[in-house]
Amino acid sequence: MTDAIISIRNVTKRFGSFTAVEDVTIDIQPGEIFALLGPSGCGKSTLLRMIAGFETPTEGDILIDGKDVTDVAPNRRPVNMVFQSYAVFPHMSVADNVAYGLKMDRLPGAEIKEKVAEALEQVKLTDFAHRMPDQLSGGQRQRVALARALAKRPRVLLLDEPLSALDAKLRDAMRLELVKLQESVGVSFVMVTHDQSEALAMADRVAVLKDGRLMQLADPMTLYKHPSDTFVADFIGRVNFFEVEEFKPGSAEVRVQSLGAVTLPTPVEFAAGEKLVLAVRPEYMRVRPWDGTGVAATLGDVGFQGDSSIVEVTLESGQPVQVLSGIADTPVLLGLEPGAKVGVDVDLGEGRVLRG
Amino acid sequence: MAKARRNKRGPFEYAHKLSMQTVFVLATIFLYAPIVVLIIFSFNDSRRGGNVIWRGFTTDYYVKAANNASLIEAFVNSLAIAVISTIFAVILGAITAIVLWRFRFPLKPGYEGLVALPIVIPEICMGVAIAVFFSSMGLYVSPGTLWPFNLTNIIIAHITFSFPFAAMVIRTRLNNFNREMEEAAKDLGASEFQVFRDILLPHMKPGLIAGGLLAFTLSLDDFVITFFTSGPDTVTFPVKVYSMVRFSVTPEINAASTVLILITLVLTAIAMRFQSFEEEHK
Ligand SMILES: Nc1ncnc2c1ncn2[C@@H]1O[C@H](COP(=O)(O)OP(=O)(O)OP(=O)(O)O)[C@@H](O)[C@H]1O
Ligand SMILES: [Mg+2]
Repeated sequence: MTDAIISIRNVTKRFGSFTAVEDVTIDIQPGEIFALLGPSGCGKSTLLRMIAGFETPTEGDILIDGKDVTDVAPNRRPVNMVFQSYAVFPHMSVADNVAYGLKMDRLPGAEIKEKVAEALEQVKLTDFAHRMPDQLSGGQRQRVALARALAKRPRVLLLDEPLSALDAKLRDAMRLELVKLQESVGVSFVMVTHDQSEALAMADRVAVLKDGRLMQLADPMTLYKHPSDTFVADFIGRVNFFEVEEFKPGSAEVRVQSLGAVTLPTPVEFAAGEKLVLAVRPEYMRVRPWDGTGVAATLGDVGFQGDSSIVEVTLESGQPVQVLSGIADTPVLLGLEPGAKVGVDVDLGEGRVLRG
Repeated sequence: MAKARRNKRGPFEYAHKLSMQTVFVLATIFLYAPIVVLIIFSFNDSRRGGNVIWRGFTTDYYVKAANNASLIEAFVNSLAIAVISTIFAVILGAITAIVLWRFRFPLKPGYEGLVALPIVIPEICMGVAIAVFFSSMGLYVSPGTLWPFNLTNIIIAHITFSFPFAAMVIRTRLNNFNREMEEAAKDLGASEFQVFRDILLPHMKPGLIAGGLLAFTLSLDDFVITFFTSGPDTVTFPVKVYSMVRFSVTPEINAASTVLILITLVLTAIAMRFQSFEEEHK
């Protein structure tokens, strides 16, 4: 029907009366990095575990390569998983860990050896083949888990929070390495993460989940620029919301809290009576010393970040907003006293009207 | 400045205090003095083991003990009982531990308590209970039964009281098993049995060894329960020693006991070597 490698069709998972995943439909394409993103407890691990076969959907079907695998045991599915704790077998050497899955497939010894060497090469662990897991660092253990799963040549590699157990510096390096690895082996990666920057940096497409429901499925740029609702806008990066006080469907003229009457670049498409907000990202706003133009505001804290600053200001209406100031504006702002009167410009071209 | 601070004693460094050192030395003496005395006097060239006067070195009593057929028989009985009951205790204990760890079922806390009960029940009560149970069920060993089947009752009794200990030790070990390990193995294609053989069993191994060792030593030196369940013509080492002591304390008993201590020590050492070998190769 489709060329999707994994099809999740109307899948619902209930634990007793609690619904962990609700009516989720997702197609995962060959060769892509797909991220399941959402806050803690939103059901992303449960969804991943249903693909691996450790949980059975209460309703709906899961197809791998067009075949219904809903009732197939995990050891018979053509997918492999990298666990959050890595779950490297402590009593086996690195090479034995990687060979384990191949032994389960009853491959001949020579072929196992060859594939183990190749997998270790892919994750740059060739020199560590005979080490025991407790002689490895966290990052190396993760690579053992990767090699072990990749050695089986799965159709899809599943990764549950692959970077969460690493320290910050290694995490950034591993992001790139994982993407490179995926490009070189060519199998689809489905990764679970609660870190939006990780999802944006690594994934080709991202599914945002909330309370078990799929909120939006899109590529990172679309997700960031055109969030489907306030939850996604807020979860993916920083955002300021302004309540829409008055609008006419089909008209670009709206009245917005704190900003007053403004003209949007595109007409509002929502039905009359809906509760709407205007969402503007901090980088599409600018703070400068007061010169009588823009929205009057009071300067709050300036959080210097080196290449930019996060500036907190309170608008005349009393609404607090965050503004991302470029390096050009920062010295001026740092020179002002907190509490100084400033003017705020809003780039309405990048404002989005969302259901509030 | 750093130097001055180093010389200051930390609040919990009791070991530096003379009083603490004294207590430590006394406790050690208290623990080991009787055993050391027992071993020393097994070489005493005196007719009576209870004799506190050193009359010269001899190994005669080892020879004598080795030639005492009934003592040797008791010794062999004890070893056989310990080996057989340990094997069963470890298997039963492992199964119990896995069931308690793995499955949820109604009244599980109650059942867990029940398994641990033999550990806290006074041994004398266990002894009486098992003896009464055997006789009421008509389970007695007829005279002339082939060795080691004439030890069946004692072996069953030993399994009964030692397997809960093994189960507890193995259960503790299972508690820190990472369930993701099991899922990882399945994910790589392993069946339930392969997961058990390749992943769970190696993880349990230190627990099995420790549990087995515990069961073995418990069985080897058990007196009370054995006393109640042994027939008139099956004697174990502790029971035999007891009857010999009642008659007279000879260095022969010291010698035999020393051998027993040696066996226990060697076994413990082997088990510890085995475990540290495992650690090194992890
Ligand atoms: N076996 C289970 N029995 C009952 N409830 C469960 C079970 N597994 C998961 N849940 C519940 O389902 C919800 C989703 O769990 P899941 O592990 O998928 O969350 P998650 O999105 O991965 O969160 P996190 O980021 O914290 O890992 C949670 O509220 C959790 O308590
Ligand atoms: Mg999770």
